[in-house]
Order: sequence, then structure tokens, then C-alpha cells
Amino acid sequence: MSEPLNPFASKPSRSRAFEKVILGLFRVATYFVLLCGVIVFADIVFKGAPTVARAFKTTSTFPYVTNTFLFTAPESLYVFEHDGEKKEMGDKEYRAFREAEEAKALAAGQPAPKFKAESYVYSAGGIWPAIVGTVLLVVGSMTIALFLGVCSAIFLNEYAKDGPVVRFIRLAILNLAGVPSIVFGLFGFGMFVIFFGWNVSLMAGWFTLAFMVLPVVITASEESLKAVPKGFREGSLALGATKWQTIRKNVLPYALPGILTSSILGIARVAGETAPIMFTAAYVVRDKLPWEIEKASDFFFQGVMALPYHIYVVSSKIPQNEYTARVQYGTAFVFLGIVALIAAASIILRNKLRSRYQW
Amino acid sequence: MSSASITPPPPKPPVQPKPFVIHKERTRFFGLTLDETIRAFFGGNAFMAVVVLALITIFLFREGSAFFGQNRASITLYRTAGLEYVDYMRAQQEGHTALTRYLFDIRLRAVRHLTENEALSVAEANAKLAAFDEFAGRYSDTIEPVRGFVSDLTDVAVAIKEKYTINEDAKTERAQFLATGMTAEADAVKIAEIDFKAELAPLVGVTPMYVEAANGVATAINDVLATAPALPVPSLESRMTRFKELNREYLATFPETQRKLETWDYLKPVPALDTVTGFLFGKQWLTASFWQDWYGLVPLFVGSLMVSIIALFLAVPLGVGAAIYINQFAGLREQRIIKPAIEFISAIPSVVLGFFGIAVLGQALRALSQWEALSWVPGFPFSERLNALTAGCLLALIAVPTIFTLAEDALNNVPRSFKEASFALGASRMQTILRIIVPASLSGIVSAVLLGLGRVIGETMVVLLCAGNRIAIPDFTQGFTAFVQPVHTMTGIIAQEMGEVVRGEIHYRALFMVGLVLFFIALLINFLAQKIVRKYRISIG
Amino acid sequence: MVNVSSLSNAAPMDTSSATPVSRAFKVPARATDGEKADTLIEIENFDFYYGAKQALFDINLKLDDKRVTAFIGPSGCGKSTLLRCLNRMNDLIDGTSVKRGSVKIRNIDINTRDVDPIELRKRVGMVFQKSNPFPKSIYENVIYGLRIQGETNKAKLDEVVEKSLRGAALWDEVKDRLHESGLGLSGGQQQRLCIARTIAVSPEIILMDEPCSALDPIATAKVEELIHELKKEFTIIIVTHSMQQAARCSDKTAFFYMGKLIEYADTRMIFMNPSNPQTEAYVSGRFG
Repeated sequence: MSEPLNPFASKPSRSRAFEKVILGLFRVATYFVLLCGVIVFADIVFKGAPTVARAFKTTSTFPYVTNTFLFTAPESLYVFEHDGEKKEMGDKEYRAFREAEEAKALAAGQPAPKFKAESYVYSAGGIWPAIVGTVLLVVGSMTIALFLGVCSAIFLNEYAKDGPVVRFIRLAILNLAGVPSIVFGLFGFGMFVIFFGWNVSLMAGWFTLAFMVLPVVITASEESLKAVPKGFREGSLALGATKWQTIRKNVLPYALPGILTSSILGIARVAGETAPIMFTAAYVVRDKLPWEIEKASDFFFQGVMALPYHIYVVSSKIPQNEYTARVQYGTAFVFLGIVALIAAASIILRNKLRSRYQW
Repeated sequence: MSSASITPPPPKPPVQPKPFVIHKERTRFFGLTLDETIRAFFGGNAFMAVVVLALITIFLFREGSAFFGQNRASITLYRTAGLEYVDYMRAQQEGHTALTRYLFDIRLRAVRHLTENEALSVAEANAKLAAFDEFAGRYSDTIEPVRGFVSDLTDVAVAIKEKYTINEDAKTERAQFLATGMTAEADAVKIAEIDFKAELAPLVGVTPMYVEAANGVATAINDVLATAPALPVPSLESRMTRFKELNREYLATFPETQRKLETWDYLKPVPALDTVTGFLFGKQWLTASFWQDWYGLVPLFVGSLMVSIIALFLAVPLGVGAAIYINQFAGLREQRIIKPAIEFISAIPSVVLGFFGIAVLGQALRALSQWEALSWVPGFPFSERLNALTAGCLLALIAVPTIFTLAEDALNNVPRSFKEASFALGASRMQTILRIIVPASLSGIVSAVLLGLGRVIGETMVVLLCAGNRIAIPDFTQGFTAFVQPVHTMTGIIAQEMGEVVRGEIHYRALFMVGLVLFFIALLINFLAQKIVRKYRISIG
Repeated sequence: MVNVSSLSNAAPMDTSSATPVSRAFKVPARATDGEKADTLIEIENFDFYYGAKQALFDINLKLDDKRVTAFIGPSGCGKSTLLRCLNRMNDLIDGTSVKRGSVKIRNIDINTRDVDPIELRKRVGMVFQKSNPFPKSIYENVIYGLRIQGETNKAKLDEVVEKSLRGAALWDEVKDRLHESGLGLSGGQQQRLCIARTIAVSPEIILMDEPCSALDPIATAKVEELIHELKKEFTIIIVTHSMQQAARCSDKTAFFYMGKLIEYADTRMIFMNPSNPQTEAYVSGRFG
């Protein structure tokens, strides 16, 4: 050992090796979580996308292309053998086919053909009413939640002075955020459906969902309001503006983009929840679309189909086989796609906004 | 420069000071100015959160509170109609059935041993066990006298209950007629008052005979046991001894049952507290039964707890590990990709995860468990596709983002100076993290875990779809296999049964009570999490 | 924060004013020197609290009309607090309260219930330490005060914008880009925009809370020049950390220390011949 000894040279030791192992474990944990997410995502995308892709059909009218999965109502699927061929048909198509065959046989003077079909509910057709219902639920409940939430946030951030009442309100908001969604469902059922007599309706669903996301919206709004510099308020007030003028002209306009962006995450939550709408707004199946109503007020008091509930129904109430898997995966794919888009939009927009608004 | 700006004093005109107006009458609504009105409006909105919380409590109570009264009535009827009396006997019969099952289990083991270890054919094994079978047959026949009593008396008790129910319905009908003023119709409704004492006479009357029969059973069992043959498999002899021991214990309960039967009084009131304890600590959730409905929370609570334990067991190391990795090790680019990605996972709707569990994970886990190389894992292999483990794994995926985000925040809040001080003393990065940073943020991490627990215990769709929905307390005597048994949960039961119950009935009310319990559990978890966080803020100073 | 012990240790007081101390700066002569001014603001026995903590102790002060008064003193001495009391900006801070005494402007007590702080603030404008133009156009920034008072006459608004920007010596610099964002201006221009915004509502009094502390020397000079112009029309009260600035632009100076008014006199007096040893110590740079 003629080399001069460097006192700062790194010394290999067992503790170093141990550290490397621990670091490796942490890294594995991180990537394992991501992997799980990716697996769920990939499974649903790969098995669900073909259902949607296969359903593109050309039509004779504008816009000349439609998607039978996205834009039609669910039907029962009939699987049967005819002339040695295995056929799968939706409810309407099957009936028409049968009548045509029977008529053909009758014309030829033969006995009517026998059909032995297995049927699977909801496994043919599409999910259009569920998409419409989900959109309606999201729009209505977010309108209510944004109104209530932004107003609450304005009070808490702009008007309220710290005191027992405000602390109590904040505590309530914090606790409301932890209430399980099924409890919101029960509450909505007890209050809106029964006590107010709204029955299973859009209104009941809207309010239930709105109350559920309220804490999310309040927190998001408050953060955005806090991000508006104090100087804007003081400057305005020093010019003789009233508090409300200051808020309306000089605070809200600058907080609004932030409020809306962060609230998108609330949208993802509203769209994704099943439990609160199970007994308040969702129907297993409904033939009419929400706008096919007799009078305008019926609109608010009608139940709707909803994507998450539809997934629950098709995944728990019908058997699992190759015929039903298509609609199951297809619905899950469309739903996951919608929610993922919303969530991605929220995350990207928020990051953009963070870098843009720096006063 | 200011000296340059000196100007001659301007001629100063004698101006009257202009009025300094700082008073203004503002329009008032109910004594409030416009601004105060706006403030009040916003304040009202903010108060909404409190109102909603209060309304949740009120409405859950409103729908659920009648449960206790109804349950008490139900239990009272259970007693007055003699169902309870019959159940004492049934318990005796079931004790015997359990023992018979034990014998059967011994036989099963014996056959397995004989065919596998001694390479006998099934027929040969059966032949070897002929003596044992004869013994088991005689043993299982011993209970016949009791069985006869139970099945006869069951019919009697059910008939009384039926009669009572019909009568109650008639009473309601009559009350409804009277309420609408239709006296003629009301009078037409026949109500036959039930003389419970007379109705119960055939039940209570058999007590001496039954006691005699039971004693006969006891003697018969002792006789049969005395002639127990030696097993062809010596290694199972210990089980046989255990069987005899269990029999002794079983027979020791006979005098107690006898005493219960003899002192049974159909008029003994049901204490009000029993309905509360019966709900909170009841071990059976049995509904829509022809005999008697039981609403006991324990199986559901245990189910919820088990899936939560599994979920946290998986999610805590993953979530906290990932948080430490991202916060302390990952580069900026890695952070920028992974943080949103994990947030993104939290956006996956739970119903989609539940569907994934049904369609993929359940089978995958079962296949995994049946893989030879993994048979050392406790609980493996298992045969149920949907069970607590499947649900727990998916719930873990739901809890990880919550735990990750909050734990990462907690780690972020540790002052930089702590870390720098530790480095300056020559500690390595891992030492700094494990000895300084994690302990300093520990309460934050604990509260993150608690909030994750809150998330998991309140989750509905995943457990509804994937937990298997069997309402029974898993058999913990078998060790870890309890965790791969199907369970039912508090959230799941509400979601599953709410759509099927009749509004206002006891079952409906019971579901609301479950909701209320869930609500309070959620509040408790939240409270604890906040308390821990608050403490932690102080400790950081 | 200055604590008393450091003060007594570091600065043995030279109480005899017989030996004049050499000054690092000069107090220039003023056109208004020696002229008698009317009293505009009268502060009497004023005590002010933040929650339970007393911030101002028994302040008695008379401020002159159409003059520049400077408030000086070490950080935390209460000078900004007093300034914000003059247009009740402290109302916006939780837990503040006036426990005793009064602030009268033209003999009207501004802390009584029937005074509308909104109207008060229209009369008593304020310029802040950190320039805070709104993220609107320069034009909109200036007319903001009029807009909220409901003024919609375009011609009137245009006129006010030009007049105010000229008054703030900003017109020539920005007249071609009135409709660009106020945030695009330099720091000094932003601060003058804030002044323009303030004078657009034609207040009588302008409060300036360290208006130049975030500006470079050239921008500071411009603002100080502006203050000279403004005092023809407005009463100006300026809080400053820079004694040079106080000396350069104020007519009278009040020195505060630990929430108390230590000395109030003509600026020349304060800087050349302070009567109080603490003032002496502060202006000569021995603490603060």
C-alpha cells in the first residue's frame, strides 16, 4: 500500500450497502404503485377500446358516421344458432329477424323456424342514456357546488375574522370532507328523496353530489382567493371601494381561473362516485332520454341512468362471459376515459396556471 | 435636487376649507347596508357546511332512530311467540351437529392419510373405516329425539308468530279505516286477540318430556362414546381424544339449558338497552328470515375492519415509501412525472376498480394462490375469487394516493435546517432520513395513514363488488385464511340492501343505523387525524 | 426591532445640545418654511391595540394642511400603524381596536360609528410600500376609483386619466400605451401609477407608506420630486425609513419609538437640533 491514504475516500461498508437496499425498496414501492395504476388502465383500455372502435357505423344522414355503442340505448343481447350459423343480435334486430324468418317460412309453406336464443340483458346496444345522465348530474351538481363553495370561500377568506364561528365552520368543512360517500347517499335519500318527496330524481342527485364535493370546491376556491395578492385588495379599498366592489372587480376576476381549474378535480370526483347516486338519482335502465318529457318541471324530477351505476349493474347483475364482457369493458373504458380526461385536464391546467400567474 | 425646486411661495387665496364629508346614508335592508347584506349572504353560504353536517346527523337519526323501538318489539315477539324457547333447544341440537361435523372432519383426514400416505384405494380406505363409520352413524343418531322436538315446536312457534303478524296487520288496516271514517269496513276487520299463554301451552307443556329426552340423549352419547373404535390412523388419535373432550364440554351445558327451559317466562320484558347492545355487539346479521331477523353489526364491522387492515397493510409501506422516495431521492424530472401520475391514480373511479377486481384481479389472485411455489404464504391457496384480500388489494390502490400526497406534504414541512444540521454532522442521507426527517414528520405521516383509513373504510363500490358479500364473521381459528374468506362490510350492506327494503320497516331503519355508525367512525378518524396534526405543528415549533 | 438595552449600551446620550453634531445630510430650505399652516388632522390621546398588544401609546399630534409630514422611526415603532389609522385601513386587520383618544380630520372624529370608512377612504388616499397596480390596463388602473363610484362618462374619464397621469408625472411616459397592462411598467412607474390612481379620486390627504423603499435611487428621486408638486394640492403624510428622504421632502417630521411619539417638530429642527436625546441618537444613525 504505497498509495497515500486519502482520509476522505469513501469506505465501502455494510451500512452503505444497507442504504442502497433501502433506497432500492423505496424506489420499487414507488414504481410498483405506478405499475398497478398502469395495469388497471391498460387492461381496461385494451379490452374496452375495441368495443367502441367496432361500433362505428356509417349512416345515410349527416354526419354520416355514428357510433352504436356511444349513441344508442342499452338492449338485451340474443345469441342463437340459425342455419348452422351462430348469430348475435340486439333486441330490436332479433325481433325483426325472427319475424322476417317466420314470414319467409310461412310464404314457403314451411313450419315456422324455432329459435332457441340465450339472452343477456344490457349486453347489446350502447350507453348513450348513461352518458347523458352522467353529464347532466355533473353539470347540475357542479353548478350548485360551485355557487355554494365559492360563496363560502369568499366569506371565509375575505370577510370572516378569525373567531369561534369561523373555526367551527372550518372544522365542519374538514369533517364533511371525511364523510363516506355512501353516507351522503343515505342522507340524500332520507332528506331529498323521502322528506322533500323528490323521489329518485336529478334534483336529489344534484344536491347530494353537490354537498359531497362542497369541501373540495371550498378548499380549491380558498386557495385561489389566497393567491390573489393582498395589494389588490388594499389598493382598491384605499381608493374608496366597498368590500364587495373590491371583491367583485379586483379579487374574483383574478381568482376565477384558479377556482375553476381546481374545481375540475371536483368534477372528476362527482362523475366517478356511484354510492351517493345509487338511491337518489340513478335508474338501472330507463328507455326515455332526459329531454323526452311532457312538461318542463318533469325534467328536474326524473331519474336518469348514469355511467358509474351502469358499470355497477353490468358488472354485478349479469354473468361474466364473452358476450357480456364487451359491454362491461366498453362502458368501463368510456367512463374511465371521461374521468381520466377531466383529471388530466385539471392537473395540466393547474400546473400551467401556477407558472402563469405570478404577481 | 429638491433644493432646485424651490419656488416662490404661491399667493395664497383665503380659501374656506371645503366640507369634509365622510358621512353617508347607505340604503339599508333590515338594518343592514348593502355590503353587510352581501357579507351576511356569503356567511350564510359558508355556514352551509355546518348545516349539511347537522342535516346528515339529523336525517340519519330521523330515519334510523325508530330502529331500536322496532327491534325491541321484534325481540319481544321472539320471546312471547316462543321462538326463544325453541332456540334453546335448537342450540342443543346445533351443538351436536357441530360435533358430528368434527367427526366427519376426522374421517376426511383419515381417508386422505390412508390414500396418500398408505397408498390405499378409496374402497380399501372406506373398508378400513367401516367400524368408525358405524360409530359415527350411531353418534349422529343420538340427537334424534331432540331433533323431533325442535322440528315440531318450530312449527308451533312460527304459527303463533304468524297469527300475531296477521293480527297486527288487521289492526293497522282497521286503524286506517277508522282514520278515514269508514267505520263499517273497520268493524268488518276481524281481530282475534291472541292468548299467548294458551297458545304457548303446547310448547311449555313439553318441557318435562323434553328434559327427559335430553337426558336420554346424554346417556346415549356417553354409551356411544364408550364404544368408540380405535382409528386405523394412529396420528389422528389425538383428535379423537379432543372429540371426547368436546363432548364432555357439550354435555356439561345440558343442565344449564334445562334450567333455562324450566325458568323461561314468555312475559319477561326485554330491556331497552338490549336492543342497543344487540345491534352494536350482535354477531348475526340475518334478514328476511322466516324465523327471526337479527341485526348485529359485528360481522359487518369485522368485514370492514379486515379489508381496511389488508388495504393499509399494503398501502402504508407503498404510500410512505413512495413519499420518502419522491421527497428525498427523486430528481426534479422524476418528481414532475410521478406526482401527477399518482394523483391520477386517485382519479380512477372506485366502481371501475371494483369492476377490474371482478373481471381480472379476483381470478389472478386465485391463480397466484394456487401456484405451488407460493403455498407457504399464509392463507394460500384459496378458492373464493371474491374475498377480503381482493377487495383489500384494490382498496390499497385507493388509499395509496391519499397517503402518498399527505405524507409527502408532511415530509415537505420538515424544516430544511434539520436536514442540513444532520448532514453537517456527517450523517449519511439514509441516516438523516430515517433518524431526523421521518421522526420529525411522523405525526403528519400517522395522520395521513388515518385519513387513508377513513377513505378505505368509507369506500363502497369496491367492497360491494369484490369482497364476496358473505355476512359472517370469518373463522379466525384457522389463522390467516380468515383474510381470504368472503366478507360483507358496513358500506356494502347499505348499498346492497337499501334498494330492496321496505321504507319504514325495521330492516330499512337498521341500514340507516349502520350509516350512522359509519358516519361517526368517519368523524372519529378525522378528529384523531386532526388532533395528531395539531400536536405535530406544535412540536415543530 | 430595537431593544432598550442595546440602545443604552451603544449610544451614551449626549444630552447637552451645546455641541452640534455633524450631519451626514442637509435639510434644504423650503418655500413654505416659516409660513403658518392650518391644522388639518388632530390626533389626541390616541391608544391603539392589536388584540391585547398595545401598538400606539397616547399619541398627540397636529398635522398641517397642504404640507408634507414625515413619520420616522425604527421598524415596529408604530408609524405605519398610525398612518393606517388615518384612513382606517386597520379595520381590515383582525382584532384591532382604538381604546382611547380620537383622530379628527377637519374636526370630525373618524372613528365614530356614523363615519363611513368607504367615504373616508375616498377622501384619504393611500400609496403602499410595494407598488400594487391592478393587473388591468394603465387606463383602467387610473379610473378604477371613479368606476366604482359609478362614473361612466367617457370624456370625463379621459380627462381624469390625463390629469392624474400628468399630476403623477407619468403622462409623457405612458400616453401612447394607456391600454397596456399596468404590470408592464417599471417599478418606479408602477409606483407613480399608483399615485396617479390615488389622485384620480381627488382626495384631500394622501398617505404614503414607505413609497420608495422598493425603488432604485433614480425612481426614488422622481417620486420625491412628485411629492413636492403634489403638496400644492394635497396634504401628504409619508412614512419612511430613509432619513435623507424625510429631510428632503417633508416640512414637519414626527419621530416615533416603541409606539410613542417622541418628538414632533419642523423637519429642520428634528434633523439639526433635536430636543430629545433619542431623536438625536436616531437621526445621527446611532441606532435604528
